[in-house]
Amino acid sequence: MADYFLYSGCSLEASGVHYLISLEAVAKPLGINLKEIPDWNCCGASIAYVGGNELSVEVLAARNLAIAEANGGLDIVAPCSSCYIVLNKVNHKLQEKPALLAEVNEILAEGGLKYSGKIKVRHLLDVLFHDAGPEKIKSLVKKPLTGVKVGGYVGCQTVRPFGEYDSVEQPTVQDRLIQALGAEAVHFPKKIRCCGSGLFLTELESCYELARDILKDAIDHDAQIISTACPMCQMNLEAYQKKINKALGTHFNIPVVFITQLMAVAFGLGNKAAALDRLLIPAGQVLKAA
Amino acid sequence: MEQVVGPKYDSQGNPREAYDQSFAREVYRKVDSGEEIKMCMQCGVCAASCPLKDKMDLSPRKIFTLIRAGQRDKVLGSQAIMLCTSCYSCKVRCPRKVPVVDVMHGLAHYALRQGYMPRKESALFGEKFWGNIYRLGRIDEKDVANRYFFGHGIGAGIKMALDNKDMGLGMLLKKRMKLLPERPIKNIKALKKMLDKAKAMGKGGAA
Repeated sequence: MADYFLYSGCSLEASGVHYLISLEAVAKPLGINLKEIPDWNCCGASIAYVGGNELSVEVLAARNLAIAEANGGLDIVAPCSSCYIVLNKVNHKLQEKPALLAEVNEILAEGGLKYSGKIKVRHLLDVLFHDAGPEKIKSLVKKPLTGVKVGGYVGCQTVRPFGEYDSVEQPTVQDRLIQALGAEAVHFPKKIRCCGSGLFLTELESCYELARDILKDAIDHDAQIISTACPMCQMNLEAYQKKINKALGTHFNIPVVFITQLMAVAFGLGNKAAALDRLLIPAGQVLKAA
Repeated sequence: MEQVVGPKYDSQGNPREAYDQSFAREVYRKVDSGEEIKMCMQCGVCAASCPLKDKMDLSPRKIFTLIRAGQRDKVLGSQAIMLCTSCYSCKVRCPRKVPVVDVMHGLAHYALRQGYMPRKESALFGEKFWGNIYRLGRIDEKDVANRYFFGHGIGAGIKMALDNKDMGLGMLLKKRMKLLPERPIKNIKALKKMLDKAKAMGKGGAA
């Protein structure tokens, strides 16, 4: 068993709850022991700049890092790409700029906290692939997803800008996890294009087109189901499909799931653990055919 | 004397007027990550990489050059600075390592504080989002969405909520929405103090 801090983030408490349920289910057999960061706060995501200046956003991330450091200093695993990128970006800045670290610590002192820069922030995909590994994953598969064509949608903040565990231009980690489950990983070029992220609700017209292009590209390359590792991507690509169809005259009805849901199914952990009942577009049919 | 940053002579050999650099200096001094644009060499890779460039009135490259050219109103009023989705395509490709996303966010934050309104909808949503962070320490998605809808006024709010009712209902039925009102994190008081202090100490805000 390897221990980690889980920074689940706000989305996994609501719209992305099926990510958390399936993650907790597969973590156990994978030997990943997840502990919650006590009293964690929102990372600010990519829209906090409206209300807060850069230093405020840095403090949001730093508070979580400081609490993690004070409670054992385990690596932080973020399943949400936006949380991952914000925490990671601020962490690198604090590690590289002593003046900023001092400034942030002066502010953290208001809550009796201090950060020295010892924490490592990692994306869940990184931990699944590099710590657990495809071999271990393969050995746990009881119901291989043979014949299922999965479009592994990577999106943006999952790998960009740091590219610490995968290529920023040609990522392969998620595809290799999909393959380890016995499924076919479909390559589609738009898998690294942006879905609209946090702007979706407020810039619908622009973002509909972004999501349409991604869905169309996946389907054009024979994907029957799309897999992601980010709650925002899952929400934007799944929950808005009906509205996209209405606005742009398309006919999308393709399930979009989290990679951990595919894992739970392939590990034979049952529907409840896979949280397939939380999907707006059912995936049962496609996965049962395996 | 103001330093000349544009071409000193035009194609006819006549002396040119120097750019007014006061706005560029303002950006370097007051805007978060503003100094980073000094590295920009106007290659345009950011614009070519941007998923929403077609929707922007000015590309990131143009924003940077207009800052140097002293075009304050054009830059701070540009909708482009709030159309950044934070996808980091520009940042990974920029040969000069300009953190374009951070600069866009810094400019947008500054513009809003200076009374400009680059994108009304995203500004309203962002305000409600930050409100949740400050009040609760976390985001309650349904609460932010409702506050955003009804931030347009009661009538418009009802219409927006109805427009999204199928999706909202779906999320509710699939238990992807919190039912109870959100409770703040345990140490919300300390977090508020921290955020107040960061606001006072940081750049990008006060006029």
